[in-house]
Amino acid sequence: MQDMTLSSTELLLIPALPLIAALIAGLFGWKLKESLTHWICCVGVAVSALLSIDVFMQVLDGARFYGNFWSWVISDHFVVPVGMMIDPLTAIMMLTVTIVSACVHVYTIGYMHGDPGYTRFFSYISGFTFSMLVLVMGNNFFTLFFGWEAVGLVSYLLIGFWYRRESANVAAMKAFIVNRVGDFGFAIGILAVWYYFGTVDYHEVFAAVKPFVEQGISLHFLGWQMDAITFICLALFVGAMGKSGQVPLHVWLPDSMEGPTPISALIHAATMVTAGVFMVARLSPMFEFSETALAAVILVGAITAWMCATIGLVQNDIKRVIAYSTCSQLGYMFVACGVSAYSAGIFHLMTHAYFKALLFLAAGSVIHAVLADQDIRRMGQLRKYMPITYVTMLIAALALSGVPPFAGFWSKDLIIEAAMVRDMGWVSELAYWAVLSGVFMTAFYTFRMFFLTFHNSDRVPAATKPKLHESPKVITIPLIILAVGAFGSGLWGVYGLDIANAEVVQGFFGSSIFVLDAHNPLLKLELEEHHSFLLSAPFWFAVGGIALAYAMYFRESAMPAKLAAMAPPLYRFLLNKWYWDEMYDRFLVRPARCVGTMLWQGVDLATIDKGVIHRGLIDQVANGAARLRRMQSGMVFHYAFAMVIGVFGLLTWLILKA
Amino acid sequence: MANITFPFPYPEHLGIMLPEILLAVLAMALLLWDLFVPKEKKGMIAWAAVASCVVTLIALLQLPAGDSLHTFYGYFVLDPFAAYAKVLMIAATVLAIFLSLDFMKDEQNVGEYYCLMLFALLGMMFMVSATNFVVMYLGLELMALCVYVLVAYQRDVLRSSEAGLKYFILGALSSGMLLYGLSFIYGVTTDFMFAGIGEALRHVEDGSRLAVLLGMLFIIAGLAFKVSVAPFHMWTPDTYEGAPTPVTAFMSVAPKVAGFVVFIRVLADAFPALQTEYTTVLSVLAVLTIGIGNVAAIAQRNIKRMLAYSTIGHVGFMLLGLIAATQEGYSGAMVYLTIYLFMNMGAFAIIVLMRRDGIQGELLDDFAGLARVRPGYALAMGLLLFSLAGIPFLAGFWAKFAVFAAAIHSGHIWLAVYAIVFSVVGCFYYLRVVKYMYFDKERVAFNFIENPVMQATVVVTSLAVVIFGLYPKPVMAMCSAAVSMF
Repeated sequence: MQDMTLSSTELLLIPALPLIAALIAGLFGWKLKESLTHWICCVGVAVSALLSIDVFMQVLDGARFYGNFWSWVISDHFVVPVGMMIDPLTAIMMLTVTIVSACVHVYTIGYMHGDPGYTRFFSYISGFTFSMLVLVMGNNFFTLFFGWEAVGLVSYLLIGFWYRRESANVAAMKAFIVNRVGDFGFAIGILAVWYYFGTVDYHEVFAAVKPFVEQGISLHFLGWQMDAITFICLALFVGAMGKSGQVPLHVWLPDSMEGPTPISALIHAATMVTAGVFMVARLSPMFEFSETALAAVILVGAITAWMCATIGLVQNDIKRVIAYSTCSQLGYMFVACGVSAYSAGIFHLMTHAYFKALLFLAAGSVIHAVLADQDIRRMGQLRKYMPITYVTMLIAALALSGVPPFAGFWSKDLIIEAAMVRDMGWVSELAYWAVLSGVFMTAFYTFRMFFLTFHNSDRVPAATKPKLHESPKVITIPLIILAVGAFGSGLWGVYGLDIANAEVVQGFFGSSIFVLDAHNPLLKLELEEHHSFLLSAPFWFAVGGIALAYAMYFRESAMPAKLAAMAPPLYRFLLNKWYWDEMYDRFLVRPARCVGTMLWQGVDLATIDKGVIHRGLIDQVANGAARLRRMQSGMVFHYAFAMVIGVFGLLTWLILKA
Repeated sequence: MANITFPFPYPEHLGIMLPEILLAVLAMALLLWDLFVPKEKKGMIAWAAVASCVVTLIALLQLPAGDSLHTFYGYFVLDPFAAYAKVLMIAATVLAIFLSLDFMKDEQNVGEYYCLMLFALLGMMFMVSATNFVVMYLGLELMALCVYVLVAYQRDVLRSSEAGLKYFILGALSSGMLLYGLSFIYGVTTDFMFAGIGEALRHVEDGSRLAVLLGMLFIIAGLAFKVSVAPFHMWTPDTYEGAPTPVTAFMSVAPKVAGFVVFIRVLADAFPALQTEYTTVLSVLAVLTIGIGNVAAIAQRNIKRMLAYSTIGHVGFMLLGLIAATQEGYSGAMVYLTIYLFMNMGAFAIIVLMRRDGIQGELLDDFAGLARVRPGYALAMGLLLFSLAGIPFLAGFWAKFAVFAAAIHSGHIWLAVYAIVFSVVGCFYYLRVVKYMYFDKERVAFNFIENPVMQATVVVTSLAVVIFGLYPKPVMAMCSAAVSMF
């Protein structure tokens, strides 16, 4: 079964089509008709999605691919190959990425209609699809890094898409700079891999991990002694924290909502931000050998899951609520990876991609309807005007809250149970309670937002009211497609792919995920009785959250205001997002600016531009140049003199030296 | 072995001179034909000259490459080094002829102009094949005399004549120095062959040491003049500015190739025994050349003068390859020359295209606003200038990389650092032109020469700069094969 190989042409086409579409749209978009541009991009990505489905089917039948196409850089022993590795993990990612991307492409036709940057936008999102595919399909750390940086770049460009808006530019820079921190760690991790293993190829590195760990190589870092493998994994994980919006590098993700909504759905919910989770799962053969790194993954994930959920409780911007929810859900995925239930993490990644993309696109549809207002305090009763958006958003909200049989329930339940059975002392204990209480909050803030938008009292400003309407088909059809995913992907995962079953998980993911038997929480779950969802704690927490939201927000009531008044400091603390931004501003941004000003005024201006000694370097050079020009008198005898003097000067010097 | 035999059996292997013989015959034939061509059809001569170059190139390429073949008692050699240099020089000549097409068409006796270029090429081809000071000198003078005339070709333009005269006088002085140095070396070694001198100098007595040093120094000075090494560079800006622009393009590239090949042969074959001394001398010269070239370029307002100083700067960088005195260094210098050929030819092609109503588009200001009027030219010029500045991943980066790496590997780390610092200084004056093109408003109306061949030259050179930049391997491989015998 294992010897079946996929066609490399087909595999190359999958990223190539979006790339070609992006290049056409980017280079010639200004000349082409808008409709032609969006057709090229949509068809490119749609074909890529169909091919991905085909690849997924073949992978289910046991087909694999591993190979290098060419070498990008060869410098002595340092070789950077360009190659692909296709296994179930890759296939499921390709499937998710291309399907969500295709839906977003179609949605964009309606959402961005009439925007002056229409073709630029298509060029970016197709380019993004290409980069993300490279990220997941690569067979070595450098293609991973290439894709990683490329998606980061596109994300930057798209957050700042409306570049005339100052807030968008600021958010774009923030995203980029915060990601620099993460990517610095990531780069260090990759270089450490190369340093210790002498290769960046996945297969070769993974094969070498076990003997490497047994050698017990350790290194000193900042006065700490740690295992080399732990160092590598932690460094790589710093990259994942940046990209996947984990505490303390989560601050950029909510701000990234400045970008157009399709981007929030595609990049900042469904695909790019999950790259960190994918990376940890992909590198499971390394993470498995470092308990410390796994514990760090759990801790960061659990703290993020809980903290961002608390912030989500009080936000009033519809997209920000969903954005904090994204951070929080990513935390769940990391908890899953940390407790060695990688398959549960990837499962949640997939279901989350569908329902969160749906949630964003539906929110976009709402925002579109109320003329680009994002404040849920100025919405309400919208279900009358936009029934399709209403129903699809309800499906997404139920899925996110974890109500069976919607997708989110299955994957989230699996994560929570895995966290319960995996015994790692206080770390797993804390993680379990964090994710469990997180479920309650998730259900609450989701339905708070939902009720305030579609039910409650009608608070839409009078000016917008006559224009309220359901969105056009290009917007609603992708919503419906994604709703199918948000409803069914959980059932499909559990009953179709049998992801929850530990044995079969190893069957489905095969060797693409590596778990030490001693770690495997899913094996432990196997031993326990399968119980009905009525007995599972997460289910009741979710129901409780929804019920509370119903009580407070379904109809207009004074309860929320009273509650906020009860503990004003707590309310402000949450509303201000735990004061993370203020803290960074105080302790990092301002000191950095101080140093920058000092170097500019004290060093740059003082020495180069208008120095203390003879008016700075610039004038010195200009003077030197002018002097040389004066030497060039135009007189032949001067020139001849210079030649003769030159020879004799050299001769004198040589003789004296000899 | 050459597979061409001549009806007369003597001297052996005359066949390896076939390209030179063909070129000489064709050039003389052209000179005669020119008398019968009516004035309005003189353009045909240019194409005939291109055809002659192509014929020469074909003859060259079908000769066996890879071995060292000698003829005329070993005075003339055809080895990969010479063959590669000849290909470069033929390419430079063809490109220069392309640039001349529209530029020179109003000049008198334009037929002679192309013939002179061919003769200059012939002289250079002899130079690079010379294994002997006498042959080398003959080739050098043939080249130099032709170029003097070419520089002064616009005889009714004052600065053209002035440039030609200055070049001639200083060139004569430098030839004198070369011959003077040669006489010392001959006096000590009684030999003119590079290899023979090299052998003899290994066992030179202490008493003759000063004479040898003196001789070597004068020879270096003579050669340094030809490749514009400071302080023998001062003719360069005046001559470049005054010469018709295609001639400037030609002389900024082809004679530099010939000069460097001869320089390498002389140093590696004739003076290996004095390596310490000549490295010291060249290091001093390189420091001077790099510094003067890059700093003085900043003060220029005329782009031809600026490029003259830029040439001086680049020559300084190429010297690093000679200072390294290793195969890697020589190969680096050749890589540099190859890439430099395309960069400079392209830049001059654009300057030529900008000639307007008798006044060349020569001032830096004339480039203001080019990006708005002709974005294609501005892009090409931008690429070429970035490449000249050595920005990765354009070809110019690899050129610098090759020589700097050689210098570092041979232990001249400080020299490399110095060169790198000045290549940063160099960025200023290249990027200033880019700034004029893209950020400044148009000051005067543009009036371009619209000639498809010249435009093609621009396209080819700027594409070459990009392609070599992305994929430098073939150039590097060819150059290291060319210098494999050192």
